[in-house]
Amino acid sequence: MASNKKYWRSVEELKSDSPIVESLMQKEFVEEIPNYEFLGDKENLSQSATTRRDFLKYVGFTTAAVTLASCEGPVVKSIPYVIKPDNIIPGVANYYASIISDGSDIANILVKVREGRPIKIEPNKMAENWGATSARVQASVLSLYDNNRLRGPLDNGEAIKWSDLDKKVIDTLESLKNTNEKIVILTGSTASPSTKKVIENFSQLYGNVSHVVYDALTESAALDAFETMYGLRALPTYKFEKASVIVSVGADFLGDWQGGQYSATYAKSRVPVNGKMSKHLQFESNLSLTGANADNRFPIKPSEQVYALINLYNAVTGNSLPSKETVADASIKKTADLLKQAGSKAVVVTGIQDINAQLIANSLNEFLKSEVYDITTPRFVKAGNDNDVANLVADMAAGKVGALFIYNSNPSYSLANAEAFNKALKKVKLSVNCTMSNDETALQSQLVATTPHYLESWGDAQFQAGEYSLMQPTIKQLFDTRQFEDSMLIWMGENKTYYQFIKDNWSDSILNGGSWNQALHDGIFASNTEIPLVKNEVDLSTSASALLAQTIPADFELNLYAKISLGDGKQANNPWLQELPDPITRTTWDNYMTISAADAVKLGLENWNVSDGALNGSVVTLKVNGVTLKNVPVLIQPGQANGSIGLAVGYGRTAGMQKEMMTGVNAFAFMHNFNNFQTVEIEKTASVHEFACVQLQHTIMGRDEIIKETILEDYINKPKEDWNKTHEFSLNHVDVPAERVDLWEKFDDTIGPHFNLSIDLATCTGCAACIVACHAENNVPVVGKHEIRVSRDMHWLRIDRYYTSDMTNEKAKEEDIFGTGEMFNTMTIPSENPQVAFQPVMCQHCNHAPCETVCPVAATSHGRQGQNHMAYNRCIGTRYCANNCPYKVRRFNWFRYPENNEFDFNMNNDLGRMVLNPDVVVRSRGVMEKCSMCLQKTQLSILTAKRESRPVEDEEFQTACSSACPTGAIVFGDVNDKESKVAHLIEDDRTYHLLAEIGTKPNVMYHLKVRNTEES
Amino acid sequence: MSHYEASIREPLINGNKSYHDITVDVAAPVEGKANKKWWIAFTIALVAFLYGIGCIAYTIGTGIGVWGLNNRVNWAWDITNFVWWVGIGHAGTLISAVLLLFRQKWRMGINRSAEAMTIFAVFQAGLFPIIHMGRVWNAFYVLPLPNALGSLWVNFNSPLLWDVFAISTYLSVSLVFWYTGLLPDFAMLRDRAVRPFQKKIYSLLSFGWSGRLKDWQRFEEVSLVLAGLATPLVLSVHTIVSMDFATSVIPGWHSTIFPPYFVAGAIFSGFAMVQTLLIIMRKVSNLEAYITRVHIENMNKVILLTGGIVSVAYITEFFLAWYSGSSYEDYIYLSIGAATGPYWWAFWALIICNFIIPQSLWFKKLRTNYVWSFFISIVINIGMWFERFDIIVIGLSRGHLPSSWTMFSPTFVDVGIFIGTIGFFFVLFLLYARTFPVIAQAELKSILKSSGENYKKLRENNHE
Repeated sequence: MASNKKYWRSVEELKSDSPIVESLMQKEFVEEIPNYEFLGDKENLSQSATTRRDFLKYVGFTTAAVTLASCEGPVVKSIPYVIKPDNIIPGVANYYASIISDGSDIANILVKVREGRPIKIEPNKMAENWGATSARVQASVLSLYDNNRLRGPLDNGEAIKWSDLDKKVIDTLESLKNTNEKIVILTGSTASPSTKKVIENFSQLYGNVSHVVYDALTESAALDAFETMYGLRALPTYKFEKASVIVSVGADFLGDWQGGQYSATYAKSRVPVNGKMSKHLQFESNLSLTGANADNRFPIKPSEQVYALINLYNAVTGNSLPSKETVADASIKKTADLLKQAGSKAVVVTGIQDINAQLIANSLNEFLKSEVYDITTPRFVKAGNDNDVANLVADMAAGKVGALFIYNSNPSYSLANAEAFNKALKKVKLSVNCTMSNDETALQSQLVATTPHYLESWGDAQFQAGEYSLMQPTIKQLFDTRQFEDSMLIWMGENKTYYQFIKDNWSDSILNGGSWNQALHDGIFASNTEIPLVKNEVDLSTSASALLAQTIPADFELNLYAKISLGDGKQANNPWLQELPDPITRTTWDNYMTISAADAVKLGLENWNVSDGALNGSVVTLKVNGVTLKNVPVLIQPGQANGSIGLAVGYGRTAGMQKEMMTGVNAFAFMHNFNNFQTVEIEKTASVHEFACVQLQHTIMGRDEIIKETILEDYINKPKEDWNKTHEFSLNHVDVPAERVDLWEKFDDTIGPHFNLSIDLATCTGCAACIVACHAENNVPVVGKHEIRVSRDMHWLRIDRYYTSDMTNEKAKEEDIFGTGEMFNTMTIPSENPQVAFQPVMCQHCNHAPCETVCPVAATSHGRQGQNHMAYNRCIGTRYCANNCPYKVRRFNWFRYPENNEFDFNMNNDLGRMVLNPDVVVRSRGVMEKCSMCLQKTQLSILTAKRESRPVEDEEFQTACSSACPTGAIVFGDVNDKESKVAHLIEDDRTYHLLAEIGTKPNVMYHLKVRNTEES
Repeated sequence: MSHYEASIREPLINGNKSYHDITVDVAAPVEGKANKKWWIAFTIALVAFLYGIGCIAYTIGTGIGVWGLNNRVNWAWDITNFVWWVGIGHAGTLISAVLLLFRQKWRMGINRSAEAMTIFAVFQAGLFPIIHMGRVWNAFYVLPLPNALGSLWVNFNSPLLWDVFAISTYLSVSLVFWYTGLLPDFAMLRDRAVRPFQKKIYSLLSFGWSGRLKDWQRFEEVSLVLAGLATPLVLSVHTIVSMDFATSVIPGWHSTIFPPYFVAGAIFSGFAMVQTLLIIMRKVSNLEAYITRVHIENMNKVILLTGGIVSVAYITEFFLAWYSGSSYEDYIYLSIGAATGPYWWAFWALIICNFIIPQSLWFKKLRTNYVWSFFISIVINIGMWFERFDIIVIGLSRGHLPSSWTMFSPTFVDVGIFIGTIGFFFVLFLLYARTFPVIAQAELKSILKSSGENYKKLRENNHE
């Protein structure tokens, strides 16, 4: 803003024509420095004797100067732009629309680029269906700066020039042209029309080419079922926002199920609006994230999942497909009634990896005429075909394959018969792996055609019918890499870059007259494509019989699953994901066998806490179908179905990885026939495993006001005081709500913005995207397994997960053990099948912050905008603030985390440090840190608006967590702006403040959870 | 000065002592040669001290992470040791100042060593708030120094800042008080010294004490004034230390009875430490005539009283935790949750050491028994350490949100620093015992004729 202030230098300036002023303005120095007089007179200078005083001065000066000179100042090497690129303004971020689409993580994203470096992934809000960023998508930016990436192409492990590699490939391809040996292109699922077209052109050129699609986390069964019923290899789209009853049989649809991205629509139906919200019932073996969010959850063994699905079908349709009884049959009857009542508003989904099960589920949805089940806009994000993969391995072993090109796939790691694959690979004349890192498959391949990260690449995708998206590079390729498609074009002898190819392909067949530049700018392009679908009749009774024949109940059945953090293990070398606590177990840096408490007792397996509180567990050896996995840690999991165990895939990577990141065991070895249900033998061993778990107490301990919740019926019918009672204090002998009691005089917080953060516990699914977003935005250090184990996690935002316990205050009173040690000890034990609640907790930015009063040096103080600030420079690290924080959200730098070989994660190498956000300082050892409510972001919004002379729009105020939240559970904004969303939320009946009775007056509010159950 | 003292009272100086005997007895450890036992004790203490310095250097060089702390339990042994040492440092000033004002003559046999112990203990205590800082090189930020950074000032709301003032004041006043008392005794050593070097040192230390009446008059006056100044400090220091906890919002810390309870606890532990040291010293330095059964019994009575206050506080805390009905109080350091939870051993250590065993002092036979008194003093020292450990660690490990519950386990560095301070303390005390007059002989002489055993007997005989 321009200032009207004028500073007077002297009174003389008042006179308009003063010569003094004139001469002062001409001369920079008031008096000439007599350099010449002193130094010019050589004779005088050489004759002058040094007096004692002069000598002392010289000695003093030189001593001081030498001392100072010996203290070496830090040298910061920075190279200025000689010619500034047009689109880069130092200090100002650019955003580019792009996508991530590798068959595992699928999203429309915006990439935040600072000074040419992508540093953050944001959701692309223009994309309605695929715009949510999961934890893995958020973390993918760090995989760009992975120090273990390959720097260039390899030939049997030795560096090779691209031209030599190309020659080798083309020669082999030419020699194969007129032989019987096949050329096979093995890729992960790709939704890219241009990639598909490149492969198609390649096939036409060389003939005898087949394209095999392989997904480590396969959806082959669902694809087969859809293809059988509708003649198209795709997946249905589920519109959960329309659902009033959702029944899932083993489908973790808030996780990776069928390509994911269902959180947002699911959450829409989970808030009571006009007294209505959906009811979600889950039949499953492991306690999945989805099951944790269900209103009713029925733990059943994997084999029973199959029976349950058939029984449910029978109960709803009145058919009598062959089936067996399950322990949950009574509940299935009730569920069937609910489904029938809801009719077209109901949906049934299943995660059973069997075409017949998928056929039954699809038919059931057809029977219900479910509006949720949408086949008109099918999804193309998953395309894996398990049979093709099995045939490929057989063909390779038989010597029928001449050349194998692998892209976006790591079969040597993720195939159950990886050894057979590796052996067969030796028989292939030419094996080329297009990969970013020297992974397990790359080690087995002859040539490695190193590919760039997706943030360095061009690409496109059709995630679902009618929705096209574009991927664009956001940084020049860091290494000597080449995109798979570019390589293919070169091997085809095409003189065209893939960029050009996409552009041509789009103008030919997609844009239909639309603007390429606009599509690239938006990252998304909608077109009305008619999908030709047929309707085939299926015979469900044969399906059911086949299903029954395949399902063999056993004493212990294994249900393999993928974690929110590592998924299929593609990003296993990403420390943010390794350190991301699993939303359910809250354990990091590990996979483990989950088992129910009852089964654990049977097998003599234990979990216990050692003297520093850290969790230890028994270790077992697992055996599935002749394959043995040793050293599998055991974690006792409430909600795990008796007779079943769970084990996460994605761990146990060993190649192209940093030592610290080689955690866990490779559970893919158990995925025989691509099936995640297996019969398992468990054998206890004598060893002990040390877990790194961030939450050691799992129940709420009778402190129900921490996570408030109610049931839908009460929410509708009873007054607010019944289900959202605020603590009351007696003030002048009158009971007043705790929030109104104040020891201090209120200061004026109505000037300027006053920030509040709102968290809706009803829609928070616990997906952890916010944690990684916060990690990336705020340069939160990774501290490694040991530090996590000893409760030194650094996450500024955590998601507390509580299980219900069988022991409650009421029950204790009935049993007359209230307040006894017996009550406390049983309260710490979660129920066998507990209800689960998630609660994201970050700094609550209390208006009466306990931390602020106790800091002796005032390093943490309150800001005008409501934030509780940390002045890192002032902090001396007494940690008193952290002790006095009732929410325990403050994080101390116990060691120097950046540039320290003891913490060899991304902040310890030049490449990894490129991800750091230049707007946020990297904290030194010995200081306290914590959530700042993304001060750097709010300040930017305020300053931008100020420069443009306009008020700040409500949606401009975002924190990293609020913008990353896929369900919109986290809302941030200015409560002084009465029109803002957050200002309305504060008035909501469901609003409460965490530990309000302490009088901290937090700026973070919660909205209580409503469960659609009969009893609370 | 020699008032009449009832013959029924037991003498405070045993044996047939003359003024000169007292001089000789007190000067003996200083003038004689150190024996083997002293050297062994000194070596052990020095090694412990050096080990502690090593651990401190390691901490400062690497980070507080070498301790067992975590993001929930941000204080443990560091502040436990700090409060423990400060507490121990309470007895000296109480004995010399408060008992002076109350004209308790029995203090004269023990006040010098009690004060020395106080000062050495406060040294140890002062160490912890400094080294527990994450950035100890910026420790001067806690001083309200004028600076060029505008209004950058310390936070006067913080009890930690009050600590800085309270402890530095206490240390300086205690030091001055102690030193004032030492002047006539240093002069005595000076006058007896044979070697010129020794003479030189002690004349410097005695500030030219001449023994004139004016000197004595001023000495008495200054002692009285300093006693008046020091008395409120006895109460204030631990009151303020307790406010580190009491002003917080953490269950188990946020308790209004902490100030009086902490002061009583401090005196309790301080007297126990004095007891430990004196029972050893009277044997080692042949001071049985001056530190008598009466002294030990009187000390035990104070211990019984303050221990009683502490016990009442424990009961109050325990009762209120239960009576409040607040689930947040279920696991505070004195609660059923603590007694049955993972820190049950720390809870019971506190109860047994501080609550149950000291009750034996109700029996005269036990409280006049040197061995039992020594044993109890050690037990109380352990118990009082556990009291602070329980308050800090149990409180922090079982906070408001159960999701953040965890535990604490010390590393070798935690232990090493604690051992180091014990070593440092004994290095100082052993050096003191060899170079300082360990009994305020000048004062003691003033009661020889009223409380000396031989004089009392003499008087009794006259009566007959």
